[in-house]
Amino acid sequence: MTVSSDQELMLTERANHLVRQARLAAAVFTQYSQEKVDKIVRAMTAAAIENAGKMALLAHQETRMGVTEDKILKNLVASEFLYHQIKDKRTVGITREFPDLNMVEVAEPMGVIFALAPVTNPTSTVIFKSICCAKTRNTVIFSAHLMAAESSNFAAKIMYEAALEAGAPKGFITWVDKSSRLRRTSELLMHHPEVDLIFATGGQAMVKAAYSSGKPALGVGPGNTPVYVHKSANVASAAMDIIISKTFDNGTECPSEQTLVIDREISDEIIAEFKRLGCHVCSQEEVQKISALIVDPRNGGINYKLVGQPANLIADQAGLNITTPIKMLLCPLLGELRHHPLAIEKLMPVLGYVIVDSVNEGINKALDINYAGGTGHTAGIFCEDDNVIERYSEAINAGRIIVNSPASIGGLGGVYNHLNTTLSFGCGTGGGNITTDNVGIKNLINFKRVPRRRNYVISFQTTKNIYINPGSIDHLRNLKCQSAFIITSRSASRRGHLAMVTERLPQDCHVDVFADMGPEPDFATLQRVVESMRRSKPDTVIALGGGSVLDAAKIIRLFYDYPDLKISEVAVNFLDFHHRMIEFPKDMKTQLVAIPTTSGTGSEVTPFAVLKDGHRKISLIDECMLPDIAIIDANLTRSLPADITGDTAFDALTHALEALVSTFSSDYTDGLALEALRLIFESLPETLKNPNSIVHRHKLHNAATLAGMAIANASVGVNHALAHALGARFDIPHGRANAAFLLSTIEYNAQIPSKFVSVPCYPLWIADRKYARAAQFIGLKDDLQPGESEEIGRRRLVQKLRQAIYDLAKLANQALSVAELGIPLESYMAAIPELTETAFGDMSIRTNPRYALAPEVAQLFATAYPPRERPSI
Amino acid sequence: MAEPVKERKLEKIRILGDLERGLDEVDKKLARGNTDIEFDFSACPFISVDGLEWLEEFLLRADSLKSTVTFVNVQNPVYKVFKVAHIDSLMRACGAPNQESQGLSC
Repeated sequence: MTVSSDQELMLTERANHLVRQARLAAAVFTQYSQEKVDKIVRAMTAAAIENAGKMALLAHQETRMGVTEDKILKNLVASEFLYHQIKDKRTVGITREFPDLNMVEVAEPMGVIFALAPVTNPTSTVIFKSICCAKTRNTVIFSAHLMAAESSNFAAKIMYEAALEAGAPKGFITWVDKSSRLRRTSELLMHHPEVDLIFATGGQAMVKAAYSSGKPALGVGPGNTPVYVHKSANVASAAMDIIISKTFDNGTECPSEQTLVIDREISDEIIAEFKRLGCHVCSQEEVQKISALIVDPRNGGINYKLVGQPANLIADQAGLNITTPIKMLLCPLLGELRHHPLAIEKLMPVLGYVIVDSVNEGINKALDINYAGGTGHTAGIFCEDDNVIERYSEAINAGRIIVNSPASIGGLGGVYNHLNTTLSFGCGTGGGNITTDNVGIKNLINFKRVPRRRNYVISFQTTKNIYINPGSIDHLRNLKCQSAFIITSRSASRRGHLAMVTERLPQDCHVDVFADMGPEPDFATLQRVVESMRRSKPDTVIALGGGSVLDAAKIIRLFYDYPDLKISEVAVNFLDFHHRMIEFPKDMKTQLVAIPTTSGTGSEVTPFAVLKDGHRKISLIDECMLPDIAIIDANLTRSLPADITGDTAFDALTHALEALVSTFSSDYTDGLALEALRLIFESLPETLKNPNSIVHRHKLHNAATLAGMAIANASVGVNHALAHALGARFDIPHGRANAAFLLSTIEYNAQIPSKFVSVPCYPLWIADRKYARAAQFIGLKDDLQPGESEEIGRRRLVQKLRQAIYDLAKLANQALSVAELGIPLESYMAAIPELTETAFGDMSIRTNPRYALAPEVAQLFATAYPPRERPSI
Repeated sequence: MAEPVKERKLEKIRILGDLERGLDEVDKKLARGNTDIEFDFSACPFISVDGLEWLEEFLLRADSLKSTVTFVNVQNPVYKVFKVAHIDSLMRACGAPNQESQGLSC
């Protein structure tokens, strides 16, 4: 074995030992309560405060950088200020509750953290990271900079002993001993499989190595802080803050000012103030000398030997003849700023400045500095004008933009502002990091979100005023209306309904009529009606007719009231009403009175309107579409032909059945759907037998409205999706198209779904039970035989329901298959892919109790073609 | 003549309270040989690093003595410690297969 491999083995063993200690401690730490953790954090903070001076002195002696007094302050910020911010924060168990969202966050420690400490802040970084790790129940292995390892490890030892004394797990803090092999040990640890996170604060080489390790890493980026001094600034205060900041620890803090951008109006005043307070403003010759000293001409970087050195030492080494003590060297950066050698990060009391003539120029110059190696880090502004601060913040890419305070101490957080106290400045993607945070405890916790199932609120909406019973059309006599616009069809006019309406409207009411609304009009037709309404300026729209007329009137009113609406913007599909992207107007200006003359659509009480668009139907859905008044007068259906009576009754029947099993059904809609179903089974045969029986017409009319209320709130299902597609493609009336699929879709929905629907308001698939209940509600019975399961009984009831529907359809001469609608087999089969696509995109399908997969939809189309036989039990 | 096979004994040890250090009595029982050990953790709410290290070492010794050690009724917090500690022998004593499977990450 060679010497080098012996050494490597030894280093690997050392790394394994450190990680094992940390791993066991991390495991044990998971059991700690918040109280135990807080006790440890308190003890560590007290130890850091007590030893702040000793640690600072050692750091200064070892690194020869910065100012001992400032290092003491940093140690105190990293302990006392940090403690103040985190002491009451919950980091164990439930850390946050979101009652409105029905969710909590629970903390999970990250585990073993490998942490780097930089030469510029060797003790404060260790204090900060140790306390943060304790608070978050993580364990930490420190690797210090070789030039600062003694002081860093001394700080780690103090923190560990205090923690152990307070009950922390053995091995909670460990560190890599100072040796010439420190860097290699660090590399081994970075790649060690038992290290969970690398917390890298230090030089770019180490940060890059951390990111390259393939482990999660919290890194920092390089800084180059521009500070804009706007003409509105308090000049004297700004000058003092800048001196405080730039001289803090002799400029070793990476958020500190690097180049000032000063408005010309105040430039003389602030430069004079800097001079008065003990700064030296360099001539151009001196700037060149300083550049030559502190900038490495080979790579444009700084001379690291001068990091954290006092201004007089730098001046001496640059050959400047300065005999008095000075605080910092101010260098005017003339010429092209983007090429100036001093337009870089200078971690020493050397500060560049430029003078600008406008806010625009000022922000652009600040951007030049910001983007010269400091993106994502820190920027500053001295300004009393909020608009300028906002413009600056919008433009500059920095994780922290410090306003009217020293950038360095301001960036540390907690002293001049309410930023999180940190010694690790996230720089976002601008600096190659994942966060722009002042990195702290929240970055060291795996937050587990525990969302409870949503309480799904379902509302119930219907038309506000519903007038029922035969003769209720008389309500029109009391209608508050000065100008009415009646939308109706030719047949309604022919059957005398239009006259029944006009005769009853108040004498002084101006009336205009559009009596040519055909079945399933397109949008262009509706737009023409809107145009004629604009000429007559009605305050009331009266919709008199079947579903097409009522739906058309809803859309016409919408576009009459809101002419700027676009159909393409309101007819957007959605998955969930509560989350849909479209917004409808809140209030309608024109009153809508809906008077159905058929007993099927239920449109008088629904917020839907269906519109034909080529070979498909589109739906507009919103509460604002609900009519204001519905008049349910069966006298208007007395002259309805038998075929239309049957078609529309089967539309209502489909509504009731689909609303009943819908994923959005509720006790409210179930009651309506079941009663509608019962009324249809009771009154349709009687109506067909005796078409002039107003009693039965009335029941049928009520059934349609009740079913309408049910679908208004529970919506429909796959049957409607199929019917919409078929109707649009082959011009089949809606009720007839619905009936053609009804037996198939009941059978389909009553089977255990191949795929369940994922909606929170439908926690249990119960479609088969609902159909069985419907069967019982219309008086069908089933007696379980001994040994039979309830499921078998349910299946029989579903079949009995299908039989009853079959029998009712035969009585009403309703087609129960596509073939019976007269559609040729070849053209139908050829259209199935298109029909499937249309049906699959139909919103009706979204509330079906079974997730209808595209091949299943195609299969439903295919099996609906052949004429049907009575379902067998 | 073959030596008579000694009957193996199963010792059931109920850990009462926090496991903060090694249990000498149990060490002695194991050392006597021919003994399998069952640790009942139902009354053990907490385990320290020392306790964890002792268990790991105990399992090593048991293995060399061909004794079987099993953990039963391990409470959630302690079982989580075993999980986070990533020590195979502890998990085996809890009935896990030799190595945790490397699941897909997604």
